[in-house]
Amino acid sequence: MTEPVPVPPRIPAGARDILAVEAEELREVADRWRAHVALAGYREVATPMLEYAEAVDRAQAGASDDAYRLFDEAGRVMVLRPDLTIPVARLVATRLADHPGPVRVSYVASAFRPPRPGRPRATELRQAGIEMVGAAHPGADAEVIAVLVGSLRAAGVRRPRIALGDVSLTRAVMDGLGVDTATRTALGRALSERDLVGWRERVGAAGLAQEGAALLADLPTLSGDVTVLDRIRETVPSAREACESLERTVATAARHGVDRELRVDLGVLRDWSYYSGVVFEAYAPGASEPLAVGGRYDGLAERFGAPRPAIGFAVALEQLHRAVLEVRGSYPALRAGVVLVGGLDTHAEPAADARAAGVTVIALGADDGDRADALAAAEGWRYVARPEYGGTLAVSDRAWGEKRICADLREFTE
Amino acid sequence: MRICVPLGALLDGSVEVLEAAGLDVSPLRDAGRRLVVEAAGGVTYITTRPSDVPTYVEAGAADLGIAGVDVLREREPEVVQLLDLGFGGCRMAYATIDGPDPTPGALEHLGVLRVATKYPRAATEYFAGTGRPVEVVKVNGSVELAPLVGLSDGIVDLVATGRTLRENGLVEREHIFDSTARLIANRVAMSLRAEEIGPVVAAMAAAVAR
Repeated sequence: MTEPVPVPPRIPAGARDILAVEAEELREVADRWRAHVALAGYREVATPMLEYAEAVDRAQAGASDDAYRLFDEAGRVMVLRPDLTIPVARLVATRLADHPGPVRVSYVASAFRPPRPGRPRATELRQAGIEMVGAAHPGADAEVIAVLVGSLRAAGVRRPRIALGDVSLTRAVMDGLGVDTATRTALGRALSERDLVGWRERVGAAGLAQEGAALLADLPTLSGDVTVLDRIRETVPSAREACESLERTVATAARHGVDRELRVDLGVLRDWSYYSGVVFEAYAPGASEPLAVGGRYDGLAERFGAPRPAIGFAVALEQLHRAVLEVRGSYPALRAGVVLVGGLDTHAEPAADARAAGVTVIALGADDGDRADALAAAEGWRYVARPEYGGTLAVSDRAWGEKRICADLREFTE
Repeated sequence: MRICVPLGALLDGSVEVLEAAGLDVSPLRDAGRRLVVEAAGGVTYITTRPSDVPTYVEAGAADLGIAGVDVLREREPEVVQLLDLGFGGCRMAYATIDGPDPTPGALEHLGVLRVATKYPRAATEYFAGTGRPVEVVKVNGSVELAPLVGLSDGIVDLVATGRTLRENGLVEREHIFDSTARLIANRVAMSLRAEEIGPVVAAMAAAVAR
């Protein structure tokens, strides 16, 4: 009779482990991103992983429906934060209410969402983002967009592209054309499903004047440089101000050096209830989803009792990592580090000395020499050192296949 | 630019509309058993099962694709639906064995309707939306067989001419939604490669409008 093979323990659907190589790379990408946003004065904050469902719903009705829910000791409903924008808005409204503004904060943290039946998706989203609270002008929009582009570049993305839309402009067009509420709701739904066929059908059924209907039907496909706004200005004079505001944002972004990366794209219109002004997404080769999403949400802080205009974005670190790998390649590279046989016992002192000098030393017992090469191969370390008679070390270099004798590991700093 | 084209019923219409938009479709016509074929003008065609087209486009393995509304409603992929291409017209329908409708009887005596389908989501949503309890049985082919051998009370399936239904003694009872072929795009490619994709979409729109 054979023993039953034990079933290995599983982790919940949509969750995953991160091993050393990926963890190192994710940390490096996040550190480069952090260093860049810090240059513009964005200072890192952290919020609790758990929030009350009531707080999340206050910011956006129904937001807690798509979140992991649990109960506290008094039976109140809590959620694992489904995004970071809402908690950070709460933090700024409650803890930084006296700040003269603009408040500039950043975060690097995970958001969570439950798995959906029939739709496999990651349940933990690693995000890095900034928020600027207390500045409403196009210059603030431009800074945030410039910081986004700069931070993506700093992290190692080669050709980021930003698609820039504006919900206030879209609203102004609909106001100017006199689109009724029912049609707006239906249009909002079509757009959230990215169904441009449905969008055009609803526009056609709205009974608008011909020129206005044609403009509205094309609105989510209007993209290019700012001249695409000329048509809106001609057809809907009351949207002139909104057009000019978007133009100022684009012009100011160009003065920050963000020019070719930026495209006006009025199809970027997510969730109308949340956002109030510019909305944008960042893309790059290698990532099939947006690297970042963001926009202006002037009404959000008010829901936490401290009305202030705000704009921000969240980068999806896993997508950013993919885009960086597209540039750098994902070939396994040998890491500078020495696997030292005897480092755990007979050669503990040289191991400590080398580490103090900045050399990575992976120690093994003196009797464990047989495993040294396998360990170096499994973890990708470049050097393997074995003690020799007379106190020297025989070091093999796995990159070049060479062997040499040396007295001191401190020469392996790189 | 990579375009994902469905094999089967939508293939001919797809080739036609791509050709009308001025793309080189000759490699697609004599692809033989090859699944990836290259054409003039930097276009690569990927041919797959119709239900896989949204998957390839959503993941960015293809920039554009052609998929039926039936598949899009079933999968709800994160893709942009750009154009109604007009061809491949058919409807999602609920059908049962001809004669007296077994539906009210099943609901009255058993409290639940058994429905066999390749489209479990469409079937579940439709009956939930009309307030009738349903037990959906997922099958992968020959759906018409299910009510004939007592596997289910009825079926939810795509109907084009209704010939298959008639030949199996089934009759359409309820219309669920209409379906045609749509042009879909990866949302990132739409923006990253707008210069390349934009003119092709415009040409297809013009071809469809003719």
